[in-house]
Amino acid sequence: MTENKKKIIKIITILCVLFILIPFVIWFGVKIFEDRKYNLVSVIIAALSCVPFFVRFERGKSGAREMVVISVMTAFSVLGRLVFAPIPGFKPVTAMTVISGIALGGEAGFIVGGMSALVSNIFFGQGPWTPFQMFVWGLLGFLSGVVFRKTCRPNRLVLSLFGVLGGVLYSLLMDIWTTLSFDGTFLLSRYLANVAASLPFMAVYAVSNVIFLLLLARPFLEKLGRIKTKYGIFRTEDSEN
Amino acid sequence: MRYFDRLHPISAFCYFLMMLLVAMLTMHPVIVTVCYLSSVTFLGMLIGGRKLLSSLAYSVPLVLMLAVTNPMFVHRGETILFFLNDNPVTREAIVYGVFASMMLMSVFYLCRCYSEIMTADKFIYLFGRAIPKLSLVLSMILAFLPKMKRKFREIDEAQRALGIYATESYVDRIRSRMRVLSILLTNSFETSVETADSMRARGYGLRGRTSYAIYRFTPSDAMYLLFTLAAGGALFALILSGGADFSYYPALTPLTWSPRDAALTLLLVTLAGSSVFMEVKETVLWHYLRSGI
Repeated sequence: MTENKKKIIKIITILCVLFILIPFVIWFGVKIFEDRKYNLVSVIIAALSCVPFFVRFERGKSGAREMVVISVMTAFSVLGRLVFAPIPGFKPVTAMTVISGIALGGEAGFIVGGMSALVSNIFFGQGPWTPFQMFVWGLLGFLSGVVFRKTCRPNRLVLSLFGVLGGVLYSLLMDIWTTLSFDGTFLLSRYLANVAASLPFMAVYAVSNVIFLLLLARPFLEKLGRIKTKYGIFRTEDSEN
Repeated sequence: MRYFDRLHPISAFCYFLMMLLVAMLTMHPVIVTVCYLSSVTFLGMLIGGRKLLSSLAYSVPLVLMLAVTNPMFVHRGETILFFLNDNPVTREAIVYGVFASMMLMSVFYLCRCYSEIMTADKFIYLFGRAIPKLSLVLSMILAFLPKMKRKFREIDEAQRALGIYATESYVDRIRSRMRVLSILLTNSFETSVETADSMRARGYGLRGRTSYAIYRFTPSDAMYLLFTLAAGGALFALILSGGADFSYYPALTPLTWSPRDAALTLLLVTLAGSSVFMEVKETVLWHYLRSGI
């Protein structure tokens, strides 16, 4: 019963943001900016989309041990991005986020993805694209938690498929930002041109995701599983899912 | 000593927030130009001329490239200059391209100034109360990074000494890096859980705990904060009431010089230029005082 109630409250918060706050921002953009400032509105919406997840984390029961494990995973994905920086587009952030999502649950996956974007951009350059990256990576972490729940040893084929889709989704969503940032409005022709221009990157994203997932998933999930059992953390997350 | 380093985080944050909003709110050419010039100068004051030049060497060609490519996507505008592949290239599209990319660059430079000034400790100081867990996670990540870098090198050297990096091949190099990362992860988990236990032992998360902050809110911080709020608020009122309306298509709006335009420009120059002015004042004062020694 209480679990059901919790789930209902969670869903209500998410629905509030999705169906009240975000439409309000869009209405504000249409009304005040005469439907021109898509760039500013889209940055605000991207930031707002992260809010339900972050609020849930703040309000949640996760203690110091859980937070430390989340920090280690995030620091690791940031470090990975720094180590592989010389190879453009080839970065382990998505893979690390997905692995966190599988092992620690969707909520922790979102935090790892979002914080990876925030912290790694301290080194790679902050900008209006940061909320987008935070949301896209966070979403991939959350989705992996949902898709792979109750499996500590996910099927390699499904994992690779998830990696490819993650790369494509990341590229497509980030191109939306590139398009919006320039015109303030959404030009389909420019979006398609941007997508075409970033096709090689999309391929590198997808390939690197698959490589990193296949190489890292087994050992990382094993290690995380051991840590979870040894220190008794992320238990509630497991039973809730 | 940079003025913005001494400025209280809330005043500095407020300045950046106002400037970012203004820069993203409007495409009015005068506003875009003022924002661009002020943000570039401000960054120059912060990081020095040589670094700024190397950054400009990358960004100016980008502005020009975007300006040239815009007419390929947009064929609106009434002044047709010539035809390219049967598509009209208009003057309006080129002008729009220049100012759109300048706006993009001023936001980019403002963000560079922001990360130059608003270091993570200032951010945590400002938002630690509102989002305690996330800001703790943020500060832990930032603490882990240098530690892990050091540890990574140690493990890497140990592996090298063991002869694990056998060949020069691409696959082999990636695999050996993975190996080092894997060792690093196990090590980090074990040590970090100890950190967490030690935090618990010292009463992390209990009520009534205070934290030390190095920042003091002085009258001059308050003055600057009030100034940015007032100037920013007045600017938003003018922009939202249509003072900065400018359309590029189908024809460029002619630039006028009404009292409202003058007030808007003056306000913007004061707000955007205040950072540069303060930095210049600080530098001059510094040299003056040093010459007196």
